[in-house]
Amino acid sequence: MKRLIDLKNGYKGKVVEIQANDILKYKLYELGILPGVDIEVVQLAPFGGPVKVKVHDYCLALRRPEAYSIIVEEQP
Amino acid sequence: MKTITVAVVGNPNVGKTALLNEIAGTNLKVGNWPGVTIEKKEASIRYKDYIINFVDLPGMYSLKNQTAEEKVTMEFLLKERPDLILNVVDSTNLRRNLYLTIQLLELEIPMVISLNIWDEVIEKGILIDVKKLQKLLFSPVVPTSAKTRDGIIDLLDKILESYENKRFVQCEHFETNFEQYLKEVINLVDKYKSVLLDVYPKRYLAVSLLEGSFKDSIPPVLSEEIEKIRKKIKEIHRKDVKTLIIEERYGDVLSIYQQVVKKEIENIVEHSYYLDKIFLNKYFGLPLFLFLVWLTFEVTFKLSSPYVDFLDKTLSVVSICIISFLEQSQTSDFLKSFVSDAVIGGVGFVLTFVPVLLTLYMIISFLEGSGYISRAAFLMDKFMSFLGLSGKSFIPLLLGFGCNVPAVYATRTIENPKEKILTTLMIPFMSCGARLTVFALFVTVFFQNYGGFVIFSLYLIGIMSSIIVAFILNKLFFKTKSDIFILELPPYRLPTLKYIFINTWIKVKAFLIEAGTFIFATSIVIWFLTNTPFGVKKDESYLAKISQTISVIFEPLGFGNWQATASLFSGFVAKEVVLSAMGNIYIGEEIAKEEEKLTIKEGLNKIGQAFIDANIDVIKNFASIFGFINENEEGGNGNLAKYIRDSFTKDQAFSFLVFLLLYTPCLATVFAIKQELNSYKWMFLSIAINFTTAWIVTFIFYNILKLV
Repeated sequence: MKRLIDLKNGYKGKVVEIQANDILKYKLYELGILPGVDIEVVQLAPFGGPVKVKVHDYCLALRRPEAYSIIVEEQP
Repeated sequence: MKTITVAVVGNPNVGKTALLNEIAGTNLKVGNWPGVTIEKKEASIRYKDYIINFVDLPGMYSLKNQTAEEKVTMEFLLKERPDLILNVVDSTNLRRNLYLTIQLLELEIPMVISLNIWDEVIEKGILIDVKKLQKLLFSPVVPTSAKTRDGIIDLLDKILESYENKRFVQCEHFETNFEQYLKEVINLVDKYKSVLLDVYPKRYLAVSLLEGSFKDSIPPVLSEEIEKIRKKIKEIHRKDVKTLIIEERYGDVLSIYQQVVKKEIENIVEHSYYLDKIFLNKYFGLPLFLFLVWLTFEVTFKLSSPYVDFLDKTLSVVSICIISFLEQSQTSDFLKSFVSDAVIGGVGFVLTFVPVLLTLYMIISFLEGSGYISRAAFLMDKFMSFLGLSGKSFIPLLLGFGCNVPAVYATRTIENPKEKILTTLMIPFMSCGARLTVFALFVTVFFQNYGGFVIFSLYLIGIMSSIIVAFILNKLFFKTKSDIFILELPPYRLPTLKYIFINTWIKVKAFLIEAGTFIFATSIVIWFLTNTPFGVKKDESYLAKISQTISVIFEPLGFGNWQATASLFSGFVAKEVVLSAMGNIYIGEEIAKEEEKLTIKEGLNKIGQAFIDANIDVIKNFASIFGFINENEEGGNGNLAKYIRDSFTKDQAFSFLVFLLLYTPCLATVFAIKQELNSYKWMFLSIAINFTTAWIVTFIFYNILKLV
């Protein structure tokens, strides 16, 4: 188990849970980041900026704290 | 003739605006929702014997009631009850888009679904079973493409058909158990507070109540009963209701997706993926962005400046023609001066913004339509997040260094109202090109040896002040925690020319009609103040008298005389007129105008020549952007320089410049703020904030300089 932020670029993971307040949790859920869904870190912005992730077939930018709250199971 | 109201709903970045442009063309009107700073687009068209009114709702991912955009949407859908919903869906991204579709079905409003961006589906070789989708969603589904214009007529026909059918089939898309809970809730509502069933759609009401909404408008008994059901669900499913509902909807989406999307070619070349490798690159991303911004800047101002000159020349020719005509008919000097200076000057002032706005909107529409704006926000987010803003605020602020007016309009790309207001209030502190002309003159007079440093420090003072002000405003007005920042990075797409032109045209038209009239009217008022009583010396005009009274407040800043005050007054109209106004005020006589007489034919010839010159200049300017031509321009203000040297000390000069930098932006900016934020409150607040900040900062600097 890892936090999404700790996934290396290009590695995939399966969402296990989201450790965050309800507002953020449901917001991520509604954007399709639900437990059991595959998620991939594609790129990182410079200077500790947001993270570009891929879920289903679309890309989202999350800030680091948000990416930190997503717990994933790393997949080969 | 029947009128149909259609609410256009969809995720952001699904080509909703482009589709609406195709349907309605220039019938599209842009305004604001009452009381908020959220853009409202409306279009009304005639089709077969119907009038169809499209109301474009803010792009959203789900139906909630939290942000201002969501409130606007829910209010419209629930209270106004449109006849029909047109759900625009990105057919290349169904898994995300259908979530909202499923939610919209809960509203029990007949719906037509447009599978937009269909051209890409064909291009990528994806097969979508439209008929099956139609059956699963119980609503007509039409593939459309704004690019190829496919499906537009079909879509309109389906809208009429659905309207005439007025049939809404509720699909019970949750699992059987859950449908049972919903029925229980509805029965409970019927028993304890049945009015709610008349006000809200049943299914929406039941789901919302289960989620825990509407707590204030239901009796305690009902609340308790619902709580019981909620507990039961939690026991059986081991999940809270909200999570369960979201999962149910997503389960639905995925099952529909699997049934409907038949063939998906894997490993299609994802150009967006590779473009992002370049544009979002850890090392090149930022420099590339800054280069693109610089290019935008250069292109906007260099491309438009020849046309601004052309407009200037045209108006002066028109003015000469009119004066020649007035002279023949023996009109008084006052009227002549009024027509040539106030009326034509005012119109000219408004028009000079048009070339800048046109070019800038075209570039911004392109950046927006292509998906690059989101990338810029991604790259700059970290830097702006310190101020409680997101990356989207960066571009408008930067544009402010060119001209504040288009910068204010560029805040349109910011969806979050709080961020938008804050950014807009910061823009006037960015020192625009017009202010630079005044700085330059003062610097050559007072600070020859370290002119660059003085100008640089002025820009810096502007930036620092804006940051401090933003910080304080953030604490005072927007106490809410910084919002969750989640940004979609849509695939790169080439926007159609029609999309760019229509967007640009609507916005420039709105500027001319809304802000233009205000700017024109106010500049006429200021003209009257400076020129009446007519024929008296400058220091006896109403402006001089008012300035004398006001000048007291500038005493502590070092320039408490009426001349300086009156110059600042003129700067309120436009910073570019400060110098000519100062010439007027300090030297006391106008630079003699050449008395010319022109017939209309000669006038037209001159205008034609000016237009050709403008086009040549555009090419020259383009060349100069890339360094092929070096331009050198120096204006002659020798006379004025002498007077200024005698009227200011060094300290006073610097303090005057600091004040000029920070105080109330020009009229055009003020009215742009009014138009963009849709509120006089923020407009006056912006004026007040700038004025106070200017006074305080100048006071501090003047006193430090006196001590040194």
